[in-house]
Amino acid sequence: MFDSEVLLPDLWDILGAVPVTLAMALGIFVFSTMIGSLFAMVEYRRIPLLRELVVAYKVIFKGVPMVIVIFLAYYGLPPTSRFLTSLVGIDYNGHSTPNWITLIVALTLCVSAFQAEVVKGALNSFDNGQAEAAYSLGYRKTQLFRRVMLPQVIVAAIPDLANSIMVIMKALSLGFAIEVVDIFAQSQLTAALNFYYLEAFLIAVFVYMVIAYIVTFVADRLERSLRV
Amino acid sequence: MLELKNIKLSYGSTQVLNGVDLSVKRGDVVSIIGPSGTGKTTLLKCINSLARPSSGTIAFDDVRMDYQKLDRTAIQAIRLRTAMVFQQFNVFKNMTVLQNVMDPLVVVQRKSKEEARRIALEELDRVGLSNKIDSYPSQLSGGQLQRTGIARALAVKPDVMLFDEPTSSLDPELVGEVLKVIRDVTSSGITSLLVTHEMQFARNISNRIVFMDRGVVAADGSPAEIFEASSNPRLTQFLTTEHSIQ
Ligand SMILES: Nc1ncnc2c1ncn2[C@@H]1O[C@H](COP(=O)(O)OP(=O)(O)O)[C@@H](O)[C@H]1O
Ligand SMILES: [Mg+2]
Repeated sequence: MFDSEVLLPDLWDILGAVPVTLAMALGIFVFSTMIGSLFAMVEYRRIPLLRELVVAYKVIFKGVPMVIVIFLAYYGLPPTSRFLTSLVGIDYNGHSTPNWITLIVALTLCVSAFQAEVVKGALNSFDNGQAEAAYSLGYRKTQLFRRVMLPQVIVAAIPDLANSIMVIMKALSLGFAIEVVDIFAQSQLTAALNFYYLEAFLIAVFVYMVIAYIVTFVADRLERSLRV
Repeated sequence: MLELKNIKLSYGSTQVLNGVDLSVKRGDVVSIIGPSGTGKTTLLKCINSLARPSSGTIAFDDVRMDYQKLDRTAIQAIRLRTAMVFQQFNVFKNMTVLQNVMDPLVVVQRKSKEEARRIALEELDRVGLSNKIDSYPSQLSGGQLQRTGIARALAVKPDVMLFDEPTSSLDPELVGEVLKVIRDVTSSGITSLLVTHEMQFARNISNRIVFMDRGVVAADGSPAEIFEASSNPRLTQFLTTEHSIQ
């Protein structure tokens, strides 16, 4: 039944997908954190109209399953990008968009909604007394933000941000639906060649666990060195 | 030097300040006493515009401001001449003790790092924190945090110090060290407004006592007038209650 001989070759096979998976995860993490932070600032500053749009965005992208967003992007992005580029006079064939870009766009859209909550929570955890102290001493809003708020908000957000890296890693496995090969998809493909499914997926579990361990460890260290 | 006229402020439908008049002369040490929720904190915050009255005027030396008009220049000018010490300390949690005191000098007053450091060390010595300059707030006691707050306020060389119940959040055994520092500060001649429930202390360090009650100044006079010769029944009742608490 269980064949330990395939474990090593399978492992090499599946490890081959790790760099791509990590690179996509990192890209999505960076983009979604930037967009999510913008959203959080809109809500924190209570900017009218934009704030309602952000709330609506969050409801949509937290509510709709990611796999549906991926399919919508897969079928919707090419004509949309073709239409948009034609507006500025460029003839771009949207259907030549690589699928991994489509996947990154779709997951960035979804994860931004979650990152917005993470950053908003961190912003709200900042106690207003320090802001009052800064203002009373003559700090401007931007000085308060840069010198006092941002350093504390980043530290407060680190654990949840690290958590979302793992959410992204797992969400990437949905890329299988549009033929993007990540760790999960690679195990699927490897198994399909030699029919040792259990072995391949156990290795995938192992690889995900190692990555989760490293991410948690690094985040923990980072948080501890920054928290004072 | 500082004159507040007819300050009115409400939060929603609750009127917190009902037309407060208060004038302070250079060198005055004024203690503000009164029941909780009367608007003492709010009044101090009106001075540096952390709270915004709906009407009233403030004159701070040559700076005059009508609260009905938003005058950012005047607000900033007054903020640069006052410094506040908060009940909850409000030190910057991401900075060491030294950085807390230096930062306003560098960021707001645009002093060089060296000069800021020199001034900060001086003030920290004054409040007895020379041995804690590299500690972070999470490593300090309440008394040390408040003394950091006081050093930070003193370092900007304000014309007026605003103390809002500086010892009310402290464990009883830490009150003394902070009161001692405040006594040193006020006796150095700096104009001070002090909201406090430490009656004996207020009496000793102040040349004037203001009794606030239900959003107005209900009595105003020398410590002797307020503590011994008051004819205001609300004040008498307040003093009796405070006395029995202590
Ligand atoms: N930011 C605020 N929003 C709403 N109500 C407030 C706010 N700050 C103070 N109050 C209310 O104003 C009243 C006066 O508060 P405060 O000035 O803190 O009184 P005191 O310092 O004399 O105890 C209280 O009833 C308090 O609940
Ligand atoms: Mg108060």
